[in-house]
Amino acid sequence: MGKIVRGNSTSAPASTANDPKPKILFPDPGPRKLVVDKDGNEMWQGRGEVGKFGRALRLAEFGAGPKTFNCWDASDATSHGIGLIQNESLVDYDPWSGKPIPRLAKSFEVSKDGRTITFVLRKGLKWSDGHALNADDVVFTYGKLVKEGFGASSARDTLSVEGDYPQVNKVDDLTVTFTFKAPFAPFLYNLNSVAVAPKHILEPLTKRPQEEFHKFWDINTDPKTLVGSGPFILDRYIVGQRYELKRNPYFSIVDKEGQRLPYLDKISVEIVPDQNTEIMKFLGGEVDLLDVKTVRGQDASMLKHKEAQLGFKLYNLGPDDGTIFLLLNMARRKNPKTGKYFVDPVKQEWFNNKDFRWALSHAINRRGVINNVLKGVGYPLYTVETPASLYFDKDLKPIEYSLDKANALLTRAGFVKKDGVLYDAKGNVVEFSLTTNSGNGIRDAVCIMLKEDFKKLGIKVNYQPIEFNTMINRIHQSLEFEGVMMGLTGSRFEPYGGANIWKSNARMHNIDCRQSIDETEPYLKDVRPWEKEIDRSLDGAANTYDEAQRHKLYNRFSEIIYDEQALIFIYTNVMLTAARNDVGNYRPTPYGSVYYTPKGSMYNLEEIYIKGAH
Amino acid sequence: MSLPVYIFKRMLQALPLLFVISVLAFTMLMISPVDPLATMKANPSVSAAAIKAEEERLGLNKPAPERYAIWLANTLQGNLGMSSTGGSIAHRLFTCAGNTLLLNVFTFTFVWLIALPAGVYAAVHRGKFIDKLFGIITSTGMSMPTFLMCFLLLMLALATGILPIGGMTSPNFDDMDKLHQMLDIGHHLIMPVCVLTFIQLAGIQRQVRSNLLDVLRADYVRTARAKGVDETRVIYKHALRNAVNPLITLLGFEFASLLSGAAITEMVLGYPGLGFLTLGAVLTKDINLVMASLMMGASMLILGNLLADVLLKITDPRISID
Repeated sequence: MGKIVRGNSTSAPASTANDPKPKILFPDPGPRKLVVDKDGNEMWQGRGEVGKFGRALRLAEFGAGPKTFNCWDASDATSHGIGLIQNESLVDYDPWSGKPIPRLAKSFEVSKDGRTITFVLRKGLKWSDGHALNADDVVFTYGKLVKEGFGASSARDTLSVEGDYPQVNKVDDLTVTFTFKAPFAPFLYNLNSVAVAPKHILEPLTKRPQEEFHKFWDINTDPKTLVGSGPFILDRYIVGQRYELKRNPYFSIVDKEGQRLPYLDKISVEIVPDQNTEIMKFLGGEVDLLDVKTVRGQDASMLKHKEAQLGFKLYNLGPDDGTIFLLLNMARRKNPKTGKYFVDPVKQEWFNNKDFRWALSHAINRRGVINNVLKGVGYPLYTVETPASLYFDKDLKPIEYSLDKANALLTRAGFVKKDGVLYDAKGNVVEFSLTTNSGNGIRDAVCIMLKEDFKKLGIKVNYQPIEFNTMINRIHQSLEFEGVMMGLTGSRFEPYGGANIWKSNARMHNIDCRQSIDETEPYLKDVRPWEKEIDRSLDGAANTYDEAQRHKLYNRFSEIIYDEQALIFIYTNVMLTAARNDVGNYRPTPYGSVYYTPKGSMYNLEEIYIKGAH
Repeated sequence: MSLPVYIFKRMLQALPLLFVISVLAFTMLMISPVDPLATMKANPSVSAAAIKAEEERLGLNKPAPERYAIWLANTLQGNLGMSSTGGSIAHRLFTCAGNTLLLNVFTFTFVWLIALPAGVYAAVHRGKFIDKLFGIITSTGMSMPTFLMCFLLLMLALATGILPIGGMTSPNFDDMDKLHQMLDIGHHLIMPVCVLTFIQLAGIQRQVRSNLLDVLRADYVRTARAKGVDETRVIYKHALRNAVNPLITLLGFEFASLLSGAAITEMVLGYPGLGFLTLGAVLTKDINLVMASLMMGASMLILGNLLADVLLKITDPRISID
């Protein structure tokens, strides 16, 4: 939901690049059925084929490994991903429609005024230690643990808007209501990432200092003490090498023959240094599945060639929700501490000139970038929502690659080109610096192409990649940057996830960040009219459940960004995954591939099994 | 001065040195522009308040001298502190150090077992085919970048399927019995040990060869030969004994590199060692972890040098330690 990505991201075969729609590879089997066993326990029925019990699924993950096993304290994707396998949420996303569907809940209902949401839990739910899971756990989680900010307080921020955190009330043992002061539609989507916590374990901790909660279930913890509601619970963690999850016998989803899932006994996840090692392990047969964000566009043709020989299949799920763009620093303020402008006043004028930004946009050969750098595996992008989004604005026209249009716009804005060098109306030579995070071959190549493209307009670009953490520091704190090429993950369900970037007072409002490290309050006196309209569109869409209205407002949001070229979007990747043929029930869909690793595209993790003799 | 007194004195001298190293390392870490909370800041779902809370928890808002004092006080009490990414440092550091130690002990053994006889043989048969062959092998080892060698071996592993692709253990490691666990680790060690041995072999083999060659030209060797002492005795009793001093110094450095010196190999092959851990910590500015790792490395270097000096004293009575 909007993490800055270091890139090395995904991308797929050239033939698909002209059809920017999410790819449905498997037909929708229809809604999930609720079955009741002889003891009256209510369980969802899996939608896949009946598989075999036992065996282990072998996965790999690049990075530094988990940082905590406390799902409510996780602030990095790996830890959060493990936490959300161990713990279920009230709701999930339908893998085919992208709509919220009940998960731990049996049903949910939004009241007519949109302010109250009522969840009814399924009967007979249990934690992995056999303890009953009921409304008390839900009230404890959202009414106490998250509300009071135990662990990572980002959970609280995703469930509330402008400080309007819902009132959580228990109606009976299985029924809970959430009441807002005003409707907040993104709540149902965001709720998936905040799992229900076991009250019988965590309640004593909420009576102690918050610091202790931070140390609870940390990476040195004995896995035997972990309790969860998900299909798998951590079994073992070996520092820097691997973690293993084992089957939770109390998990409450069954297959078509009424057998309790999951099928797999174990999931083991190797921690590897980078994507190359992960792909090599897959090719060498040490890993069963490569998930989204691991298979990059540049790997697609190589993997495609080896499919038959090595017995696996490559899945193309269409465009990703992440965006890659050029960011220009439009800040017009002075640093209050040093009294110097964040951006050279001469350059400020160019960056704040809409014609200048449009000229740059017309000068970028997006198709060339995709063909040359991404080996044809990617989609050109013109605005904030990618074609993967439920709220993709189909009316916005692709931006033509046209140096003539770019030159005409520059002339109109008073720029003059002499001997191949562009001067502004005051006679200054037009040049600016461009950076991206180092160590990413693709970004590096794209920046070099941008530099060449802009050179054709007479603009000199000084390109210098820098280390990721340093780049973040410049963009967020010192605000001393001119042009940056970077990426952000998006959300295919809910553009409101971008509010923390697009609202004029947002912490990550990078186009004109209003709070530098030396400022205690955001400086809001120079908000542009179109920025105000973005604020209104986003808040308006968040405050209604009326789909038609939401579409209208989110389209307006996309249009403003497009009209202003507030960010100059370049491309989005293609989502690719690959799985060995003996992985059963693996049926990835675009809307079912939104989870953190290791779940990734396995929305039906509990139904995955390994084919063959046991 | 007796040997124990000498060792004690050297240990005392090491303390101010370690202090200076720690101050330098801490200062450099402080100046580096890396933002330890970058990943958090780059995540829009994290609020400004959450970042502030995290800064407070990690003590990032305190002035540098104060942070150094806290670190020093904790370390002196034997408390290495918590990693900024959660979990105690001691556990992680020692696990990873153990892995690196295992890797380097094997490498060390192989390097010296091969380099010593190979160096002697090459010196004795100077200019012959075998000497030239060793020359080619060691030049290759010296000039080949570590990462390239790792990649070549990875490719080989991928093509043949006989070696595991990086890592230290197989996914089903914990279901194996003790014997198979050892075999599994051994299987995973083949690749990194090969790389490191091949690369370190060069230096030591050449060192042995050239030292021995120098000594073989010395007058007393000529005298011994003239007296009719047989060649084996000349080489092993007279020459090698005298050629070994610089090698002992080298051994001291090798000791220091037991816990480091394998970082690139570890990174490329995904071996969960100290280099792997430390580099990750530097990139996220995990001060406690980097400092603990650096101080451990510095201590090893000082110990290694001391060890070499003591060994020199024992092997060569001409050397005085006063």
